[in-house]
Amino acid sequence: MPTIVLDLLKYVFLAVLYIFMARAVRAIYLELKPERSPAAARRAPQPKPQQRRSKRSPRSVKVIEGEGIKGKTFSLSDELLVGRADSCQIVVSDSYASQVHARLFTKGDQVMVEDMGSTNGTYLNRQKVTAPVEAFKGDRVKIGKTVLELRR
Amino acid sequence: MQSPSTRRNQELGLLLLAFILASGALALVTIALRPKNYDLMKPLPLVLGVVVAYGIAHFMLRRFARSSDPLVLPIAALLNGLGLAAIYRLEGTRDDIPVGIAGTQLLWAVLGLACFVATLLLIRDYKEIARYKYIFGFAGVGLLLLPVTPLGQTVNGARLWIGFGGFQFQPGELAKVCLVVFFAAFLAERKELLAIASRKIANFHVPDLKHFGPLLVMWGLSLAVMFFEKDLGSSLLFFSVFLVMIYVATARFIYMALGATLFAVGAYFGYQTFQHVQDRVTVWLHALDTRYVNDESYQLAQSLFAFATGGLFGTGFAQGRPDLIPAAHTDFVFSVLGEELGLLGSSAVVLAFMLLVARGLKIAFNARDDFGQLLAAGLTVILGVQTVIILGGVTRLMPLTGITLPFMSYGGSSMIANFILIALLVRISHQEAAEPAPAHTAEILIGGRT
Repeated sequence: MPTIVLDLLKYVFLAVLYIFMARAVRAIYLELKPERSPAAARRAPQPKPQQRRSKRSPRSVKVIEGEGIKGKTFSLSDELLVGRADSCQIVVSDSYASQVHARLFTKGDQVMVEDMGSTNGTYLNRQKVTAPVEAFKGDRVKIGKTVLELRR
Repeated sequence: MQSPSTRRNQELGLLLLAFILASGALALVTIALRPKNYDLMKPLPLVLGVVVAYGIAHFMLRRFARSSDPLVLPIAALLNGLGLAAIYRLEGTRDDIPVGIAGTQLLWAVLGLACFVATLLLIRDYKEIARYKYIFGFAGVGLLLLPVTPLGQTVNGARLWIGFGGFQFQPGELAKVCLVVFFAAFLAERKELLAIASRKIANFHVPDLKHFGPLLVMWGLSLAVMFFEKDLGSSLLFFSVFLVMIYVATARFIYMALGATLFAVGAYFGYQTFQHVQDRVTVWLHALDTRYVNDESYQLAQSLFAFATGGLFGTGFAQGRPDLIPAAHTDFVFSVLGEELGLLGSSAVVLAFMLLVARGLKIAFNARDDFGQLLAAGLTVILGVQTVIILGGVTRLMPLTGITLPFMSYGGSSMIANFILIALLVRISHQEAAEPAPAHTAEILIGGRT
């Protein structure tokens, strides 16, 4: 076989080698691509069945999931700090929680949830809390591995 | 998350491409070696062996680990195929590379895949192996130190081998998998404890002194490997893997800082004490010096010449002279590809290793429990660090320490150990995709803490 053909075959081989790489990267891309983009999900109107019950704002917080304090109930009078620091009203022993992780406070008739700049974030019903947001009865707040439920 | 069948079909597609590349490489070598009267039937057994062995492994994944990662097996097949072609090309060109060695390598690959399948069948739930952590720990240390016993044999100045009845084995290769299993189980149990920063030294929160014990023990073990077996590569590998795992477990930078310091102390001490360490550094710094180039640094210099000859596209299979490099089929297999496939070909190999490591870290990231997370991270780090050590060595990025290039270098021990390693990764990835997520842990990030 002439050398020129061998040379050509070498280029073909290198091309196929990179086709393999491209297909491998494509498989990773397809896996990462969300079915619906997060931006679109944020823009879409959130169904809020609890809106109607806004007058029945929560009065207490029950710990659903959490080491050592599971099942405890805290009353929502003015302000509740949640975190690992002893100065918090709800002290969690949770390695995924920050020292002062989140704040629950009342604003008039409403109960608000605010993230205090935690490392792993605060979630209200699986939605990440970026700014203070109103919470309703039955909502769940997740802080690290700890889950709190807002109650009447 | 994609469906299991999508993942398996992606795997099949990539495997077919890997088969095309492996057989293409073998055919090109055959043609280029004797352009006038080539016999394409000659490499056929090798091609068939690769296709059948990986085909069976793929079928077993469809049956027993349907949701597992689709990239791990094809990447191993690609690297294995390229390595096989390089070894086939070198057959008979040097005294230390006899004819028929490619067949032996295929046999090792088949045996490795058999171990891959056996590991998948034997370990249905990776969490169970955490229960046997001390057995793994003792087995690992035992295997690691086995070459020091009278069974051991010294090859090329390193006491790494054991031999019985004409059969040689490098127990350190299996030891690394055993030790990672032990580290993962050990650290998963103690991560909270090790992460507590109870002391404060100069504005840094520092864990209690007794928690540095495991790090010191590992340091001692790594030094022992260096002293008694004269094996710098394995020594570096074990220590860095443990260091990364303890960092993954605790997210405490102090362990990394202390580990790096201990490593520096060990390296300096080794340099002062051992002639062969000094030789390695001299060769690294003066590879092309006329005083050494025909003697001590001959091997490294030939490797550099090989890369230079290769250029961008390479000389083409069997068109270069990689046979000038001593140990071209084991430690220097990357230089062979660097010469004959050029920068593009060798970059593709590096890319393949990077993808493999990326997949491993992703598997670690998605693992549901501390043990799985640490196990996957540790196994991946072994592959990654080993690749960096040897690729850095043959390209003169760092002092050369003999260690195998996973899936490519000639050798059975390494092949079998690496297949067991990826079998564990595949098992973890299957379980994290197949088992329903616990309701509240999905969003927790790894290691983040304030």
